[in-house]
Amino acid sequence: MNVSKCDTKHLRCDCLTFIAQHYTFFPLALGQILRQYAVTEMHLALNAGNWNYDRWGYPEEQGVGTGAELWAWMGDGAAITVDERWKGLRNALAGLFCASLGSLDELRTTSPAQTFIPEGTLPDWGVSHTVRHASLPSEHVCTENLTPFLKLLPCKSLSGIASLLNPHRLFDADWHGMGVHVLWREGEGVEMRLTFQSVSDPLRYDSAKKQDWSLQSLFDRTIHRSCPVAQSSEIVVALPKNALYSIKPEPPLIERSSAHFDVNTPLEYRSESTQFSVKRTLRGPSQAHGQLSVVIVNHRPYAIHTLYLETMPWLLQFYVHTLEARVDGVLQAGIISNLTYIPSVPHSRPTTFQALLNLPPHSTVQITMDVTKAFLRYTEHPPDAQRGWDLPPAIFTPVELATNDSSFSVKEGRHYTSTLLVDLATPDFSMPYNVIIFTCSVIAYIFGTIFNLLTRRFVVVRLDQTKT
Amino acid sequence: MSLTSKIPSTPEYPSFASIFLILIAARLWVSLTDLSDILKHDQQLSSPLTSFSQLKEGIFLFNHDIDPYSGGSFRHSPLLLSFFVTALPSSRKLASVLWTCSDAVGAWALVRIWRARQNVRQSPRDVLVAASYLFNPYIFLPSLALSTSSLENTLLLLSIMFACKGKASASLFLLSSVIHLSLSSAIMLLPILLLLITDPHSHIASPKPLSTPLKKAIPLFGEFVAYMVALTLTSTLVAGSWSWIPQTWGATLTLPDLTPNTGLWWYFFTEMFDHFRPFFLMVFTVHLFIYVVPVCLKFQHDPLYAVFILLGILGTFKPYTTLSDPGLFLTMFAIFPEIYPYMRYPIVTVLLHLHASLLMPLFHHLWLSQGTGNANFFYASTLVFACANGAALVDCIWPGLMIAIGPRVEGYSIVQE
Repeated sequence: MNVSKCDTKHLRCDCLTFIAQHYTFFPLALGQILRQYAVTEMHLALNAGNWNYDRWGYPEEQGVGTGAELWAWMGDGAAITVDERWKGLRNALAGLFCASLGSLDELRTTSPAQTFIPEGTLPDWGVSHTVRHASLPSEHVCTENLTPFLKLLPCKSLSGIASLLNPHRLFDADWHGMGVHVLWREGEGVEMRLTFQSVSDPLRYDSAKKQDWSLQSLFDRTIHRSCPVAQSSEIVVALPKNALYSIKPEPPLIERSSAHFDVNTPLEYRSESTQFSVKRTLRGPSQAHGQLSVVIVNHRPYAIHTLYLETMPWLLQFYVHTLEARVDGVLQAGIISNLTYIPSVPHSRPTTFQALLNLPPHSTVQITMDVTKAFLRYTEHPPDAQRGWDLPPAIFTPVELATNDSSFSVKEGRHYTSTLLVDLATPDFSMPYNVIIFTCSVIAYIFGTIFNLLTRRFVVVRLDQTKT
Repeated sequence: MSLTSKIPSTPEYPSFASIFLILIAARLWVSLTDLSDILKHDQQLSSPLTSFSQLKEGIFLFNHDIDPYSGGSFRHSPLLLSFFVTALPSSRKLASVLWTCSDAVGAWALVRIWRARQNVRQSPRDVLVAASYLFNPYIFLPSLALSTSSLENTLLLLSIMFACKGKASASLFLLSSVIHLSLSSAIMLLPILLLLITDPHSHIASPKPLSTPLKKAIPLFGEFVAYMVALTLTSTLVAGSWSWIPQTWGATLTLPDLTPNTGLWWYFFTEMFDHFRPFFLMVFTVHLFIYVVPVCLKFQHDPLYAVFILLGILGTFKPYTTLSDPGLFLTMFAIFPEIYPYMRYPIVTVLLHLHASLLMPLFHHLWLSQGTGNANFFYASTLVFACANGAALVDCIWPGLMIAIGPRVEGYSIVQE
């Protein structure tokens, strides 16, 4: 395997609470936003590229959907509604991270509470909590997003593991993504996790084309000293299982085929292969309708249950009555159950489609559904209308079925599919005036002719013989 | 028009019933082929308000306890929903049979209208009238595509037929169902009320003011309002809330779905500036209704003729048209043979229709499937189609007025004041 995986950053700021109002380590800029919009739990991910589950296994941080993804749990019952606070939150975060999170508007906002369960605990204040989720697959992650991200760290990128975050190398990686996760744990306080994940291919940087790599070769940086305020700084290297290797310096601790280097408490690293792989495509040559096809291959010798979630902007409207599941090419009932469907509203609300899938052992399940593509007003198209629209990834969440009834509990390991590009029919952008004039002329012509006939009386006149 | 040949009035022409059955059998045979699956997505044959796929989606959502009117994908009337939920032909073939039966009923109604107008029990033209409905491609193709606009046409024809027979209740009830399915058909109310208080016979050549007092129409209007209210309440009961109104009638007024069709609205409102949209929506809606009173006034001596003209207005100017709307208008020409000698430019009209009906599917395919043409091509062909329908309208209004003057005489000229 010539791709090495480096999960470089995993900082924990555990001992901070809002009650104490200590902003010694907790970034004030973020703290203020969370306080102002009364956010209980928030997850922001900015990723570039398509996470290849089949080659790279499950990521350390689950949120690897292409582009920007933001989801937050908020308590209801405040003077300001959840939707207004959600709007405020995404605009504030857009400002903080220089990302176009402001575009995560009601056209893209859904509340899939079963897939996005809170990682922390929700305080028991006697009010209900609701989730808001939105993703923007067309967001491009770049240096301008990394700089504000680094500013949230207590030592910036000056020392500690964060000094490896060299934008030139990170944004050149096969895949990279940053995440900001804030959650509340009962009895412990607020926990913030800032993560940066990247997948680099050492062969690309090595002129000798050897599979060797070092921190210097991957990041073009080294760690000179640990961050003084960090309680622990650790680098974990997953060691090859069935191959020869050498690692320098000799790791002080090898645990479950991972070498641990303490730069200044153990972090479990797992790289199991994925249980299933998913391929989602939009088929059909027409710009008016098409077919959504999702192929899921179960690699395990036992049946897997997973939640399938689509949060589709109204650009694509589902025909749920055409939903069909085929197992190894044979139409089969009983694959799809527990259907939750909130249809989209043109020019506003997106579709939320969720179903529980039962994947038989060692099988390929194909799910197909007819869709229609929307026709937009000319002002709704983006400037590069011919490029098409990025559609958010579908999310598969493994679930454990309760033995007695149809309830289920969500397990770890969200799986994002690749994003889709939909080609919508475009009107001619250069001629709104012409169209208005042409249509109005035709209508005026027909109207005029008809009213001329209806209002002016016909009379018979005798032609003057002498004139001719 | 030789009167002498009609005197031996034994019906020696082939029986209408047998030929009618043969025509329907032919229709049924075509509808049971796979042609239907190819055509069901065609936007010229079914609009978002009449498409069979959307109807099935609505039934699916309704059966799964999801309010079909909560989203934007289902815009059919709750009446259709309740009908198809209880009596849905589950397979496509059975649906095709139902649609063919509906067209057969439509054709039969048209023949009854023709006989009522001529005041005869049977005529040699019956078969021609039936065939002009069953085999008009503008009506045939939407019916193959299972567009509910075919059902609307049938209901409307039945309503007109009962109006011709003077059966007010049946006529007004069917009219209010048609208006529930498609709000724009409300323009047919006034001529049908006039038809109910007068007779369907051809008075087109002898214009005179309305002899019956208009007061007789007031209780009929009251009855119509009662049916509307009853159907509205039934719909609300079926849908469970009032949410169906903005989704069905509201869509006719606000045009949320800009899917291309053969009408004039979709591209106009695709290209419309956002701040002018409400204004032009109002103008287009009012424009549709502005013809009702003048046409009914001018043709008060022959309300069936006013019905005919307003069908043409509907097919040309209504939002979310399908081909079956202008199709019904063009088919109606078959029951007014007295106007043929006075038509203004029939050749031009036919050529315009030929032009539009060949280019529309072609440009639609080039734009949306092939990707080698753009929206303007299809838009231009719909403009030609609008002109063709406009020319057909002039071709029915002009002879309607000219027939009263009679054939041209040497030395005299006809001018407008």
